[in-house]
Amino acid sequence: MSSSHFVPAQWLPKTSWITAGLLVPSLLLCSAVAAGPRRQEQHFKVAAHPVITVHNPNGLITVKAWTKSEVLVISTPASDRIEVDAEQMGNRVDVSTRELSDSVAPDDMRADFQINVPEDAELQIHNDAGNVSVANVLGDMNVETVAAGVDLEDAAGYLTVKTVGGSFTCVRCSGRVEASSISGNFRLLDLRSYHVWAQTSSGNILFNGEFLPNGTYSLKNYSGVIEVRFSPGDSFDLSATSLKGKVNNEAKLTPSAHQHHFMPKWGNALFGTFNEGRAKIEMTSFDGTINILKRD
Amino acid sequence: MATITCRELLAHLEPWMEGERPLDLQAHLRTCAHCSSVVNDLESIHTEASSWSAAEQDAPERVWTSLRAQLEQEGLIRDAIPAHEDAAKAQAPRAGWFSSLFPRLPRPVLAGAYLAALVAVAFALSGPVNKRVNEARWLKGTQISTSPLSAQLDFDEQNSNSYVTRANPAVTASLHQNLALVDKYIALCEKSVNEEPQNEVARDYLYEAYQQKADLLTQMTERGENVQ
Repeated sequence: MSSSHFVPAQWLPKTSWITAGLLVPSLLLCSAVAAGPRRQEQHFKVAAHPVITVHNPNGLITVKAWTKSEVLVISTPASDRIEVDAEQMGNRVDVSTRELSDSVAPDDMRADFQINVPEDAELQIHNDAGNVSVANVLGDMNVETVAAGVDLEDAAGYLTVKTVGGSFTCVRCSGRVEASSISGNFRLLDLRSYHVWAQTSSGNILFNGEFLPNGTYSLKNYSGVIEVRFSPGDSFDLSATSLKGKVNNEAKLTPSAHQHHFMPKWGNALFGTFNEGRAKIEMTSFDGTINILKRD
Repeated sequence: MATITCRELLAHLEPWMEGERPLDLQAHLRTCAHCSSVVNDLESIHTEASSWSAAEQDAPERVWTSLRAQLEQEGLIRDAIPAHEDAAKAQAPRAGWFSSLFPRLPRPVLAGAYLAALVAVAFALSGPVNKRVNEARWLKGTQISTSPLSAQLDFDEQNSNSYVTRANPAVTASLHQNLALVDKYIALCEKSVNEEPQNEVARDYLYEAYQQKADLLTQMTERGENVQ
């Protein structure tokens, strides 16, 4: 049987006050931690070429490759009104964020993820806002966002990225790259890709990578700047058209050896071959500026 | 013979629709029911759209009717519009004619139908064969065909706006900002096309802007579905 006793404060010894002074803040701290974000860690054993899908409304998603045949998902929801589900179906791991009640405030609908995957994993990521960052994953990848930015590093495979306003940066990617946006800026740096297709309406496009033999590079926007950098040893056949904007060129082009372009009747256009014309570059803008500049 | 993947086939749909028939694509279509179905649908839309005549002001409605028949056949919508609704539809403003043809369509499917309609318009109007046959007719047809599409997208923009009010404010703001941007581009492209009707580059940009708008409206509508 337990009993409780009320003891007047003036009867407490001095040491009890000190103990209480330490205990109360500690308890408050513990309760605050308990009510805060619940970090969750889940492991899934997978075979070769697993597929990982992530559906999240808002948050930071960081995916990194590792050497284990395992997928690790560390999630941190912003509130206890949402829940992260991660489940495995065969060689597929599906991760999604869902609301636990009908009246979840938009600010609470946020979860951050740190995910480790085998390097041959295929990724499908939907994240409306926040950011998506992927490094060293060599499998195919599809990333779709609204406002979230997308950063890929050392990726390969077939990479498709679609944003509404989010920016896209691809560093040292060697796969097939297809990116589209309405107002997002694209930065394609140190690429070694045979196929690049990038289209944004008002965003800028910077391509600073290798033009591989037989590679095709199509860069298109409505306004904004399209800029490509080339080295003296590069070899490409180039077509640059801006309907109402400018085309600035630092490459010494010769008339195209395989001139099958229609000469445009509208806008400013430039066609020609640099060295042997092994790669094919097409740049098109409505009223933006196209810059073809020497690499520093 | 080495066959190709579904993804590769989709990447080659445009040349296929322009008449290119590589053997590996044909081989894939013989064995893949899904791709075969997609190509059949596109070809039937293309055939229907190609039959439009510039002289027929109401010709595009036949395409929507055809689309509706296909969607009914696929079970995406159920039955025809009841007689009393039909009468009401006749008195409805012109801007809502597309929606009234699809009264029971789930919103994402309806948004998908916008894209199908855009595909139909694009194939019918940007095809080099059509253009070479009769350029004047092609130009006139373009103007007739894009007007209802533009009006429809404007009308559905108003409807879509009400669906995203409970979504993340950053996402909602981004969608609205980008929609305004696309509207601005549509206006500028339309101006260019009106000034230089033969300008193919301006036309391409105009249709891409329409596609972007349809895509944005789809996303806004889908987010509305998610929060309701």
